[in-house]
Amino acid sequence: MRPDINWDLLYRLAIVSILSAALFVAAAGSALAPPPIRFAEVAAKSGLNFTLKNAAAGQFHQIELTGGGVAVLDYNNDGCADIFFTNGAAIPSLRKTSPEFSNRLFRNNCDGTFTDVTTQAGVAGTGYSMGAAVGDFDNDGFPDLFVAGVHGNTLYRNLGNGRFEDVTAKLHSAGPADAWSVSAGWLDYDNDGWLDLFVSNYVVWDAATEPRCGSEERQFYCHPRAYTGQHGQLFHNNHDGTFTDVSERSGIAKHIGKGMGVAFADIDGDGFTDIFVANDSVRGFLFHNLGDGTFREIGLEAGVALREDGYAVAGMGADLRDYDNDGKPDLVVSGIINDSFLLFHNPAKGLQFDDTAQRTGLLLGTRQFTGWSLGMYDFDNDGYKDIFFGLSHLAELDQYLGRSSELPNHVFRNIEGKKFEDVSATAGPDFQRAAMHRGVAFADFDNDGRVDAVVSVLNGPAKLFLNRTDTKSHWLAVKLRGVHANRQGLGAKVHVHLADGRDLYNHSTTAVGYASSSEPLVRFGLGPSAIQWLELSWPGGATQRVDHPAADRILEIKEVSAK
Amino acid sequence: MTTPMALFFLALLAAVSPGRPAYEQANKLFAAGQFAEARKALDESLQLDPDLVPALTLRAKMEMADNHFEQAGRTLERALKLDPKAEYAHFLYGLNAFLANDMGQALPRFRQARELNPQNPRTALYLGLTVESLGRDDEAMLLYRDALRLERAKNAVDADTLLPGGRLLLLQGKLDESERWIREAVAVSPKFRDAHFDLARVLLKQGDAQAAAHEGEAALQLQGATITDAQIHYLLIRAWNQAGDAGRSEQHADVLRTLETPKGM
Repeated sequence: MRPDINWDLLYRLAIVSILSAALFVAAAGSALAPPPIRFAEVAAKSGLNFTLKNAAAGQFHQIELTGGGVAVLDYNNDGCADIFFTNGAAIPSLRKTSPEFSNRLFRNNCDGTFTDVTTQAGVAGTGYSMGAAVGDFDNDGFPDLFVAGVHGNTLYRNLGNGRFEDVTAKLHSAGPADAWSVSAGWLDYDNDGWLDLFVSNYVVWDAATEPRCGSEERQFYCHPRAYTGQHGQLFHNNHDGTFTDVSERSGIAKHIGKGMGVAFADIDGDGFTDIFVANDSVRGFLFHNLGDGTFREIGLEAGVALREDGYAVAGMGADLRDYDNDGKPDLVVSGIINDSFLLFHNPAKGLQFDDTAQRTGLLLGTRQFTGWSLGMYDFDNDGYKDIFFGLSHLAELDQYLGRSSELPNHVFRNIEGKKFEDVSATAGPDFQRAAMHRGVAFADFDNDGRVDAVVSVLNGPAKLFLNRTDTKSHWLAVKLRGVHANRQGLGAKVHVHLADGRDLYNHSTTAVGYASSSEPLVRFGLGPSAIQWLELSWPGGATQRVDHPAADRILEIKEVSAK
Repeated sequence: MTTPMALFFLALLAAVSPGRPAYEQANKLFAAGQFAEARKALDESLQLDPDLVPALTLRAKMEMADNHFEQAGRTLERALKLDPKAEYAHFLYGLNAFLANDMGQALPRFRQARELNPQNPRTALYLGLTVESLGRDDEAMLLYRDALRLERAKNAVDADTLLPGGRLLLLQGKLDESERWIREAVAVSPKFRDAHFDLARVLLKQGDAQAAAHEGEAALQLQGATITDAQIHYLLIRAWNQAGDAGRSEQHADVLRTLETPKGM
């Protein structure tokens, strides 16, 4: 017997069903649509008044191009991130002949304002400074400061009373004596619980013998190939305030590059921190930590040494972070116009990275940029790390490009670990302003759970971009307190498991970008989810687990495991 | 007899420059690679007629060959002042800026040359390279397509025209179309290293590591314009590794470590 079909009812149900589906899609779409990442620039009104001076005077000295390092450090442990800027000096003397060349330290007053405390702190410096690196090398709970420079570096020990002591002599550097150091970073490469120092050196440079390039009528900065490269340096912490230069012994000194930014992470999960060095116009170095005090350079084998076509980009900034939440740190490197920036995905097995710049949209999206510092942070707290690039072309390149060398910075939103979308246009009016941006350091300066950025500007006022993304997403910042591990927990890996089933990964490092140093906190954007558990691997292998930690706060974790 | 035709020929005879024969000779010698003799003939030509635009243009070309770009620029400016419609002088003026990385100046010069002769595939190609350098990829691709169309019309397709288009398509992730362009470049110039290298790149992107490795090994045995041994070794490190031959991958890494890092393209 044939059932009596009510065609009219079926028709209505079908319509309702289609409409419901459409409504559902629309609702889901609006729920999933992330708020635009937005920044407000507040440097002037917060009292962060700093201008980077490179002393350029038409002589096209190579050192004028670089520099501009920025460091974030909570030097007085008041819970608010302070800011240190490096500065230039007179050329050719390389002396800070006037106060305009002073390096500067600004104390965060925890109320949205900053106070210049350079003089009290004793960190004005003497030479032509380039980069800065922050790490608590003496495990006293106060972050110390290394300042990289041209023909002279400085190591400051934080005395804990608002002042710093120059302890450079205790580095016992074995050279090169004429090192032009651009970037540096702190890591515990041998997991002995004390931070060691890696310094990235660029090229041999002397104002008196510097080559002249371009034409008689139109001089320009020489290509880096006109200069001899230098090797990086590794300093082992002797646990007594002194260091031993282990560059030769560790294998680092065998590799002559033109070092710029450095980034650290345990790329293969063997428990030892590895080192990436972005080199300018020569191949990048990936120093694989063999765990016995030595490193093997595997950039070529790992596929991160060069661009996909074998071209050596003008590597500037670098960051090793997991952009697709698969638990392995990936690599991003900035370069010069028409290089395109590089993005490499760390594979599930083996150590041959996959070049994903083209697939993710970053390659064509960055082809017209010249990038300096950068950082991979989750600016909208959706659970995927985005990328912020500090941009500007080389000074005086405007006459060749037919347009200004100044560029606005750019921010690329990470779409579920698959694509990077340039969302700069909606990042607010302040973000559209072009300038000669250089160093960038990242921290949550106003402790609102959103990652901010401080940017140096060549011969212009520095910028402080406060993150104003209108997000309801949750976040967590993990502040580490090593006991057997180094006190700041640099190198520690954190795995967060969310209630919605997602897993997020990050690690602690201050070495981010180019010539700059960011906060040591390990940050996570959580999206709408709560945290089910968090697992922490300290350098050295000890692990710790925290169940159901509350979100939207800084979670302090002290190492409790026995060594 | 004074017919209109005879009058025309008389006028034409009067218009022929006294420096013309020496210029023609210089041009032939330059094309034959006899540069010293070409210079001598060109000097003679310009002595007889300092305003002979083709001779001035050849002079600029020689100056560019000697890396005297400013001098070449001045010579071309003089030529273009004498004959603002000299298409080849406009092209060289653009090329002079292009080779000095001065894309802002190269752009209007190539545009002017193309306006004067839209049928010249070289101008379309270099205008494409210039706009691509300035970030206008879509416009560049249209120009590469047009350059190719013009060459096809003349039955003179050049691998140098196919490769920039193939490379841009590769960057844009249009792998199949990129492969078509590059395979045609290989077919046109089977002994051209650059074409084989680019084919290896696209094959590797497509996931055919074995074929990429073989193509890369072939490229290594050939002569090229811009692609260095180091670039090919770098590709082969990855291709052999992905193809499962770690030994051959390591061999290429060892060789590459002994070579200079590529200077770029």
